[in-house]
Amino acid sequence: MTGSIEVVYRGIFQKTLGQRITRGIVLAAVKEGKVGISFGRYGDSPERNGIPAKSFAVVADNEEDLQTYLSRYEPTDNDVTVAVDDTLCKGVESWAWYGLQPINKLTQPGGVVLTTSMQSPEELLEDCHRKDTEWSLAVLKGIASFSGLWVYKDDHTDVRVLGAIARLAPHVVKLESVEAAIQDEWQDELKVTSARKAYERVETRKVGPDEGNPEKPYEFQLPKWWEMKEGLVIPGIPVKQDVEGWEGGYRPGRNPTFKKFATRTMRPVIDFEICTKCTLCWLQCPDSCFDVTPTGHYDANMEACCGCGVCEAVCPVEKCVTMVNEAAFGDNASQFEMYEKDTDTYKSWLKGKIEDKVTTDRYHGFQLRGKYEEEVQEIIREVTK
Amino acid sequence: MATELTVLPTQNLEAFKGVKKLTVEEYFTSGHRTCQGCESALVMKLMAKAAGPRTVILGSTGCMYVANTTYYSTSWVVPWMHTQLGSSGSAAVGTAAGLKVLMRKNRIKQEPINVIAFCGDGGGADMGLSSISAALTYPEYNFLILMYDNESYANTDIQLSSMTPYGANTTFSPPGKARRILHKRWKKNVAGMLAAGHPECRYVATVDASYALEMMNRIRKALTIGGPTFIHSLDPCPKGWDYDPIQSHDLGELAVETGVWPLFEIEDGVLKFYGKSKGIAQGRKRKPVREYLLRQGRFAHFTDEDIEYFQKKIDLMWDRWLIPGAVCIEMGDDIRKQLARAEQEVAAAEA
Repeated sequence: MTGSIEVVYRGIFQKTLGQRITRGIVLAAVKEGKVGISFGRYGDSPERNGIPAKSFAVVADNEEDLQTYLSRYEPTDNDVTVAVDDTLCKGVESWAWYGLQPINKLTQPGGVVLTTSMQSPEELLEDCHRKDTEWSLAVLKGIASFSGLWVYKDDHTDVRVLGAIARLAPHVVKLESVEAAIQDEWQDELKVTSARKAYERVETRKVGPDEGNPEKPYEFQLPKWWEMKEGLVIPGIPVKQDVEGWEGGYRPGRNPTFKKFATRTMRPVIDFEICTKCTLCWLQCPDSCFDVTPTGHYDANMEACCGCGVCEAVCPVEKCVTMVNEAAFGDNASQFEMYEKDTDTYKSWLKGKIEDKVTTDRYHGFQLRGKYEEEVQEIIREVTK
Repeated sequence: MATELTVLPTQNLEAFKGVKKLTVEEYFTSGHRTCQGCESALVMKLMAKAAGPRTVILGSTGCMYVANTTYYSTSWVVPWMHTQLGSSGSAAVGTAAGLKVLMRKNRIKQEPINVIAFCGDGGGADMGLSSISAALTYPEYNFLILMYDNESYANTDIQLSSMTPYGANTTFSPPGKARRILHKRWKKNVAGMLAAGHPECRYVATVDASYALEMMNRIRKALTIGGPTFIHSLDPCPKGWDYDPIQSHDLGELAVETGVWPLFEIEDGVLKFYGKSKGIAQGRKRKPVREYLLRQGRFAHFTDEDIEYFQKKIDLMWDRWLIPGAVCIEMGDDIRKQLARAEQEVAAAEA
């Protein structure tokens, strides 16, 4: 018998975390006399900050089963899909993937999607796409870990996920073996406690085929190599998109085969009332995400924004551009259109987005040196209580 | 007898007069697979914007090749072609020469076309230095070579390059218990080196995308002046420098304000500092490098002693180098005396 777990994580920021989880699964499985392998997905390499990537763990009763299972590109029927950042529930648009892959696409029927989140399962189901078969959504309470690549700021997310997996898929790894593996690997009783608490605290909810985000994820077919032009030449992007009623405005041509819906962990919300049209957000955006509106405002286009926050950093007007947690949004609609249509509604929407710190506050974990390390102490106290 | 060179005219790209006067079109647009807050992507965008639609761009291997042109997916609006890691120089010469021949043979319309070849610090300062050097000796072709320097092989997950600053944490130089600092080399000053060694190259500049307008105007200058030109851009890299992507812009500014990255241009052999570096060169106080270093995870292991050493090296550059940022040579006593004597003679003659 084989079991497989996929961990979907934010490239670079959570690379070490992803590896520690899948490695931990294999080490625990070995305690039970099983064999296993932990590996990253080749197509995700080289990783980019924030772009979703995957790490897998496959365990089997014997070497032969393991080899048989691995004779495929990647595990496609995972017992558990782990999203170590809840905004990944909106889908996975990785390096290698063209189009948006629902988070539960590679979860086997009846399998579990496990995510670390402060949101309720119902809120998360607004993001997770529908699946033909029944599946479960498990939530482990906690913020998205930004433990980092270089200096690993241990916030116990690795062992908490391991503990939760032991509960959700005991046929892959059992709690006792997870505990033993953690003790072996890190010699830290507190980490073992974290895993055990997570085992007890993880909450699961069954999801039927009629539940979840009904939106069809965006996808397309790429031409095969023999369909390309001589010399493998491909057409460039048109310089401009014509938008009806946008005379005087400008929307640049955009790459139709890579949108950044799933790369964002935050998005800018803009107060058009106080905007001075200084051009800086538009000019300094590395992703050319701003459309120039006919009124000369700059509208962040969610097809292109990857949520870096440079617009907030360069904006000279206080509170004109605010980065808000991506989890707080249900669609990718144009903010300027909303503003044009009904200014008052927009203003109250904007106010809600900015002021509701509980759901909207978010940063990349290391804006200030040592800040995350300080927060980690608080997190660990909380998860081991 | 010297034969006259045939040099094609260049486009007359006038300097932008301000951010409000910028052209609205993007020739490197969205949908590239770079990191959040990638400053090099911004360099590509600004470079393409400054160059305009009649431009051919060549890119050697690196982030800006791999991330921007994955299988059948691209963000380029203008024609772009990949070239090998060390060959941005040869690709630039070849393309410019090819266009010239095609025009001479009336195969394509006669018009000035910008040729830009870009390379990363690995492709430019490490592998491609000889080909860039060779390219800069061809006065009969018009092209620009732009090196986007993010101070490591960031594409393949941060290996050390010759442009990695002292002490930085890379996959080749992780700090450990036995040795805190594994990388003890100081980075090369490529722009100065190329300017000093290539008399036919009429324009060399250093730029920083945090100062977008100044940067674009340097690109325009390089494309307008004619002949081979070179621009070196310092690009903060959230992946390799390990900082929050929101800080990309601030770090670009801090690099200049702390004096780590002097902005200068050398036009027809005459050097001048510009932007904030102008004030610094005239003696205005620099910000302490500590502010710049401590924002980056790659220097997280630095002790006060290391920061002090870094500061000392930067001070040395501004105080002692013949030209800060460009020429790391001091004048010997003999030359100093000679110059003093010559000055006295001039003064005496005038008197």
